[in-house]
Parts: sequence; structure tokens; C-alpha cells
Amino acid sequence: MASQRPRLTTPAAVEPATTEVTATPRRARRLSEDWVATILGLSLLALALVGAIPAGLVP
Amino acid sequence: MSAPTAAPAADDVTSPQRVTGTALGALVVLGLAAATRFLQSAVPELTAGTAFGGFAEAVEYPVYAIILGFAANALLSGANVRDRLAGAFKTELFIKTGLVLLGSTVLFSVIVSAAGPAIVQALLVVTTVFGFTWWLGGRLGLDDRLRALLSSAVSICGVSAAIAAAGAVEAKREQLVYTAGLVILFAVPSIFLLPFLVERLGLSAEVAGAWIGGNIDTTAAVVASGAIVGEGALQIATIVKSAQNVLMGVVAVALTAWFAFKVDRSAAVDKPSLRTLWDRFPKFVLGFLVASVVATVAATSAPEASAEGLATARALRDWFLIAVFTSIGLEFRLGSLKDAGIRPVGVFAAATVVNLLVGLVLAVLLFGGFSLDGV
Repeated sequence: MASQRPRLTTPAAVEPATTEVTATPRRARRLSEDWVATILGLSLLALALVGAIPAGLVP
Repeated sequence: MSAPTAAPAADDVTSPQRVTGTALGALVVLGLAAATRFLQSAVPELTAGTAFGGFAEAVEYPVYAIILGFAANALLSGANVRDRLAGAFKTELFIKTGLVLLGSTVLFSVIVSAAGPAIVQALLVVTTVFGFTWWLGGRLGLDDRLRALLSSAVSICGVSAAIAAAGAVEAKREQLVYTAGLVILFAVPSIFLLPFLVERLGLSAEVAGAWIGGNIDTTAAVVASGAIVGEGALQIATIVKSAQNVLMGVVAVALTAWFAFKVDRSAAVDKPSLRTLWDRFPKFVLGFLVASVVATVAATSAPEASAEGLATARALRDWFLIAVFTSIGLEFRLGSLKDAGIRPVGVFAAATVVNLLVGLVLAVLLFGGFSLDGV
């Protein structure tokens, strides 16, 4: 049954939530894209606020 | 004598070819983003005082980014190297990260004030458009699973909603590919069409943002279109779209239940659960909210000390969003649309028109009296 699950490989369009297509998602053994983006975005914000990213570095 | 080791598979993400291709693709995206930034400032300067000057001033970075993306797509496809670099065209990662950073540019008080009407609009739009699309699809004899995909995609949030629905109803891969193609086909022109209509109709930034957020299918296209209209519209569009995206989990659970107990009584289908709701919840919305809280606290408790940092965060946001738009152009494929057939296209087109009209009425009713200045 799992082999019949459609898997998305088409490009573009952008969206939230997981990219898992299966009706019975396996427990993720690695961080989902949502969490990676959340951690990355908040980390960059924190670095910017503490001055670790110099003001003129990002045009 | 040691055993021979197998060469990594060509599609192994850690293979040297894939790593090199992804690295080069990242350089392409970075280069296009830099070119966009350059054009964004240089074109208005060069055309100031000319007949083209006014128009150039109004052109925002999403326009340059998407055009450069399309151009690079054509060049790389013609040279037959596009697919090798595609590992770096991470549209979804860029938009999610960009949206988290965008949270730092939205005062939390704006989110709190706009959340109420945004949720009401999202509920009404999703219900109306999903119901219309489901009904029309049935009248035109579409397969139930394809109806579910199209209805979810056009009413909630494009490809991710279609993916969630595909999992819920056990759709065929081809149906998901058709739906994804249709989403892109309608979303990209919407980026430019809605700002044009906003200007023609004389809508306020708040109503424009609500209309864009409740109408365009993909989050990236919503951000692009909102950015073209202006900062205020972008903020409202993001809040409205985020509210709509959250409903994706609810719809996925409802579809699972419907197909499990009514359409396809298969014991193999998982019963809907709170876990399903959480799995489908767009986690980066939490990042958006946290970023807004952090930025609001920083701006109000230490305005001078935090000004530079917040400006840097805003610049980072713009770079990630530019990367989104260039990736949209780089990833665009017409091939997936060829097998779509006319009936799904007709259903999607009709649903898009309904979405436009319903979204406009609700945006005017719910956000007509809303002002960012008062928040």
C-alpha cells in the first residue's frame, strides 16, 4: 500500500507543512523542512539583533 | 584485500555530482538575487526624469526576480544543465525562512488585531471555494480524489494543501502532478494581476492585502503580490494567508474521515487524529509569531539599540524572498500541464474566479474599516 502513495517531485509552489505525501507518515528521523526554516529564521534574527551580523553586510 | 565499495548512486543526495550541482545551483540563486537587488535600485536611478521613470519606480523586486528566474530557466534548460542544479532551488525552504524573518517586521499588535477578521475570512473563503469546486468537479464528472485535490489546492494553499489531501484520500501521483501544475499556472499570473486590479479598484493597502492573502493559492505568490502593492498589504496578506494555511490540517483530517468512512471503506486508511492535525500544521507560522514577539519586545524596550538589528533582519527577509521568486522562475515547467486535460483546468479556472469574487467581498467587509495606522 505504501508503494502506491504518490510522492511529490514536481517543482515550485511553495507551501507550509510537511512534504510527506503518504497517508501514513513515518515518524521523521530528521528535522522537517518547516522546523529547519523556523530554526534558521529565528537564528538569523537573533544574530542580527545581537549584532553578530554587521549592519552593512547584508545590502 | 578489502572489499570493493560501490560508487554512490547518481540520485544519492550525498554523491559528488549532486553536491557539486547543488552548490552551483546555490551560486545561481545567489547571483540572480544579487542581480535583482542591483536592478531594484539601478533601474529607477537610471530612468529618473524619463517617461519610463514613474513606471520603473513602481516595479518591485518580485518582478525582476521572477523574470530573471524565467530567463535563467530557459538558458539552463537549453544548456541541459537545469536539472543538475535543481537541488538548490529550494523554493519552500526559502519562503518558510523568509516568512519567519517577515514576522520580525510585523508588530505583534498588528497580528492580534488582524487575526480575528483573518480567521473569519479564511473560514468563509475556504468553505465557500472548497464547496463550489467540489460541486463543480462532481458536475463535470471528475474522479472524487482529483476533486479533493483541486478543491484543497484552490481554496486553501496550493500544492501543500494538495499534498495533504493526496495523502488523506490516497490520490494517484498523476493527479497530484496535474494539480501542482494547475496551481503554478494560475498563481504566477495572479502575482501581477491582483496588484493591477487593486490599483484599478482603488483598494486600501489593508483590503488589498486581505484580498491577496485570501485569494492567491501559493504563499510565495501571495508574498510576491503583496510586496508589489506595498509593505502594509504585504503584512496583512501574510497574516491572512497564514490563517488560511492553518486550516489545511483541519481539511486534511476531514477528508481522511470522509474518504475512509464514506468513499473508500478501507481498513488500511489511518483514522484521523490530533496527530494528523499537528503533522499538517505549518510549523513555520509558529516561527513567524515568535519573531514578531521578539521584534516587538526589542523595538519597544530598546528602540535605538535594536534598530540596526531589525533593519538587518528585514534585509535578510528580502534576500530570502528574492530567492523564492527566482526559484519559482527557475523551477517552472510547462510539461506537467500537458496531460492535465481540459475539465480539471475548467474547474480550477471557475473556482479561481469564484475565489476572486468571494475573497474581494469578504476583504472589503472584514478589512474595510481596518487601519494599520491605528494599531
